[in-house]
Amino acid sequence: MNFIESDEQLMLRESVAKIASKYGHSYYVEKAKNNEKPVELWNELATNGYLGVNMPSEFGGGGMGIYELAIVLEETAAQGCPLLMLVVSPAICAPIINQFGTSELKNEFLPRFATGELIMAFAITEPDAGSNSHNLSVTATKDGEVYRLNGTKYFISGVDEAEAILVVTRTSVDESTKKGRLSLFVVDTNSKGLDRQILPVEITAPEKQFTLYFDNVEVPASRLIGTEGDGLKQVFQGLNPERIMVSAMAIGAGRYALAKASQYARDRRVWDVPIGSHQGLSHPLAIAKINLELASLMAKKAAWLYDNSMDAAEAANMAKYSAAEAAIQALDQAIQTHGGLGISTEVGLADFWGSVRLMRTAPVSREMILNFVASHSLDLPKSY
Amino acid sequence: MNVVVCVKQIPDPATPGEMDSQTNTLKRDGKLIMDDSDSYGVEMGLQLAEQAGGGEVTLVSMAQDGETSGLRTALAMGAAKAILVSDPALKGSDALSTAKALSKAISRANPDLILMATESTDGYTGTTPVQVAELLGLPSVTFAKKITVDGSSIKVERQTEAGYDEVTCPLPAVVTVTAGVVEPRYPNFKGIMDAKKKPVEELTVSDLGLDVSEVGSSGSRQEVFEIVAADARQAGEKVVDEGEAHQKVIEFFEQLKLI
Ligand SMILES: Cc1cc2nc3c(=O)[nH]c(=O)nc-3n(C[C@H](O)[C@H](O)[C@H](O)COP(=O)(O)OP(=O)(O)OC[C@H]3O[C@@H](n4cnc5c(N)ncnc54)[C@H](O)[C@@H]3O)c2cc1C
Repeated sequence: MNFIESDEQLMLRESVAKIASKYGHSYYVEKAKNNEKPVELWNELATNGYLGVNMPSEFGGGGMGIYELAIVLEETAAQGCPLLMLVVSPAICAPIINQFGTSELKNEFLPRFATGELIMAFAITEPDAGSNSHNLSVTATKDGEVYRLNGTKYFISGVDEAEAILVVTRTSVDESTKKGRLSLFVVDTNSKGLDRQILPVEITAPEKQFTLYFDNVEVPASRLIGTEGDGLKQVFQGLNPERIMVSAMAIGAGRYALAKASQYARDRRVWDVPIGSHQGLSHPLAIAKINLELASLMAKKAAWLYDNSMDAAEAANMAKYSAAEAAIQALDQAIQTHGGLGISTEVGLADFWGSVRLMRTAPVSREMILNFVASHSLDLPKSY
Repeated sequence: MNVVVCVKQIPDPATPGEMDSQTNTLKRDGKLIMDDSDSYGVEMGLQLAEQAGGGEVTLVSMAQDGETSGLRTALAMGAAKAILVSDPALKGSDALSTAKALSKAISRANPDLILMATESTDGYTGTTPVQVAELLGLPSVTFAKKITVDGSSIKVERQTEAGYDEVTCPLPAVVTVTAGVVEPRYPNFKGIMDAKKKPVEELTVSDLGLDVSEVGSSGSRQEVFEIVAADARQAGEKVVDEGEAHQKVIEFFEQLKLI
């Protein structure tokens, strides 16, 4: 048992933090407001090999795990730059292709995940399926050497910056259970018949969400991941790293908020003492700090389990739940600590609200995590 | 082009330093980090070796208890190896004692060029580099902002208050590098992972062929008798702008003969 990060992990933290601090939250917000992408930050992290730390070394990656990738995301978020596509591209899509893809697919995509050149979006959510993935309605029908995709996905992040999308489809229905049999495809973003429409959200972030309309989109059979019908198992493989990464992003955002709040609480005097000496402000900040640290411990445990090929589902879900709640609490209290300035554009807290609040809902909602813990960890009956 | 860069490992300046009440010197027991001032020399050394198309950077450091944590960053940046001088007998070394140990270690690497920071962040004496040069019998150039290698000599742009001097100097030589003149690279992920595999040769005083009486507190000619707090800074003059503040600011600068 050891709670101390290795020299390499600490140096990775330090280097990423230094790079991200050159950009900072104002860079991130400016990109969002100008409808641009944080390419300079992304590219600088990529050039230094930080975006492919979890890719196998035979594909040019760092040969380490999700733990290290989570460090990269946490440290960028702690500087006010939560890079959402780091959750989707190298943490959901890449591990699924690595574990289940043919060697052709691996050779085509993994080297460019490793360099950070390739951004891939992930599309599972649908208007009518919601949290119930068995109910997906986007279908893929085999037609000779190709599959034809039809249906609608929504809330898909980063499609405008992605070269391809990993799409979860239904290829058949299990007659006995009436549940869909799922299959995953890598679909080129500019495929014929694939239309997209921006889905406006109240989040200040450079990444945008889209509704995707598949109208007989032709996808070569070689772009099927693994065996047809095995999609659910494959999706689950991507979900644990996704949850671990969202935890890291939340913890980084919470650290950002608490750093600002405690700095301000030390400096600001309304009466003749710094406001941080009033327990009405210091105690809620202390509680937020405790909850962030607890969430961080669980996230590290989850990453460790995943990297050591053990079942990480329970820990990853618990980490995602607690990290999102801790980040929301930290940001809320940081805003409160700043008085009216907390809402100002200049201070850079209120604009974070959308991104941080989102983590209670996506990529898996608080309720679905509680359902999982209730049924999986406590053996309670399901309501659905 | 083989370059030695001297790297000092110091207590993290971000955490408050503690003085040893017995010796009146800085306590150095905790984890040490690379002095930021040295990162510029490391970067310059790496650039010179790369430009020369061959050769490598060797780090030389002196620290207690075999401490190497402050060397890892420079190894991750791309230095090939390190020589660490560590020996309980070195405790209490002043600048000259340090220079004796460093110069012996440096000569083992047989470098074409030795780079050091102009001064360390924890000691601020700024005397060690020239003492090293003297002990090695080499020329020294201080306050470099740019170094160009030209065959067996170097051209150094040496920062001065008025601008810079151009100094030409034969190799090998000791050059001190001013902080901030190059942008130190970030260790890339491969560099970070490789750092631990790079050799760090640990040497004692006797390995260097020195006698314990020459170094450490016994060899030091410097003793700190007392530490006193610096005078608190006087409050400055506040200029309230009622329309003619710019005039007062100009007068103030004129008084200081700045304009
Ligand atoms: C900004 C943003 C980015 C996104 N990016 C992506 C992306 O890149 N790719 C992608 O595929 N999706 C993405 N999503 C979608 C996101 O993952 C879903 O919104 C999320 O999983 C919730 O699903 P839903 O919206 O369908 O809610 P629903 O499933 O309709 O749920 C509605 C509410 O009911 C609750 N609920 C549902 N079932 C139960 C139950 N059994 N017990 C108790 N409560 C229940 C939920 O917790 C929720 O509160 C994104 C969403 C947003 C807002």
